[in-house]
Amino acid sequence: MSWLDDLSLELYARGVPRRERARIAIELGDHIACEPGCEERLGDPRELAISFADELATSEARSSAFVTFAALAVAAAVLMISQITLARVAGYPGYSNGISTLLFFPAILGVVVAPQVALVAGTLAAWRALRRRRAPQLPAAELELIRRRTRIALAAGFATMAGLELYVVDFSLRLPAWWLALVGGLAALAGVGLLGAARRLLRAQVIVSGTAGPAGDIYDDLPLVGSEWLRRRPWLLGALASVTVGLALGAFEAHAEHSVLEGIQRGAFEGVAAALGFVLLGRAVGTRR
Amino acid sequence: MNGQLDPLILAILAEEPAHGYAILQRLKERSSGAFDLAEGTIYPALHRLERDGLLSSTWSADSGRRRRVYSVTRAGSSALEVRRQEWKHFALAVEAVMG
Repeated sequence: MSWLDDLSLELYARGVPRRERARIAIELGDHIACEPGCEERLGDPRELAISFADELATSEARSSAFVTFAALAVAAAVLMISQITLARVAGYPGYSNGISTLLFFPAILGVVVAPQVALVAGTLAAWRALRRRRAPQLPAAELELIRRRTRIALAAGFATMAGLELYVVDFSLRLPAWWLALVGGLAALAGVGLLGAARRLLRAQVIVSGTAGPAGDIYDDLPLVGSEWLRRRPWLLGALASVTVGLALGAFEAHAEHSVLEGIQRGAFEGVAAALGFVLLGRAVGTRR
Repeated sequence: MNGQLDPLILAILAEEPAHGYAILQRLKERSSGAFDLAEGTIYPALHRLERDGLLSSTWSADSGRRRRVYSVTRAGSSALEVRRQEWKHFALAVEAVMG
């Protein structure tokens, strides 16, 4: 087997896409044709393939985090439009006014809880990618953390748009046709954007990186929050974040609904949901080890 | 060479567009053979610089072979200027200490 064949096999083994492999083969083939017998000076094909794969994996993981963040921003805009138009024009219908509570509760989970998961995971993924934008090669563990955050953010983004669609179906007999068409259409469009981001992520996931090093955690991402003391007490961060979120939303809801009781109820729900999210997803998104 | 390959590539391509082999030859000539690197390492760097928007490339046909010719983008020129200034400051500081 020739040096170029070895290189092609090594690139294939590391998941480098076919188009990229073809381009590399042409460029290196041209190099060898310029000076026959120079293969030894080109270096070990395995080492070269590792270098190509590590740099490509880093670049693709970063790009997929940014593309996902942009797609989530569009989905967030759709969610805001749906809620603003619903509140101003039609008003919120009670849950018993829909077709079925079997549609309502998954819809509400999708519209209320999933966007918060998407916001946290998507922001953490994009922030890590931005913070490490100048590094040519990131450790494999760090790339996996970025991709995992991106996966969770995307799943939550899809759940949000699915929740909106369920809401549209559930209240299809109660809400104005124009609102149903507007929100149903926009949510579908945002879903297409999320599909595009998912495709990008799939492409990033197949490339194998071999760079050693730690994945890092939220204390690396947010050095102001981070301290060795807090890092050794991971549950404290979860508790602090949950209480803060619960208090902030409770105060907002109490003001918006002109009801302290309503504020306490919603704030408590939000705090519990945030604590649950920390327990279930904390390790996956790197907010605890 | 650690960390210095990127600005060296940008500096060579800032003069005129070139393909991988030609870039290496110019690198060797200009440094009087001082940079002893595995020649293949230039290609991952070229691909990365292109992904980062500092280089652009097109296919050309020469001597019956297809080859990728690289040139510096506007962002690449700006990045090169920044790296030149950084290098000048670094070299002056080293000279001041070493004498």
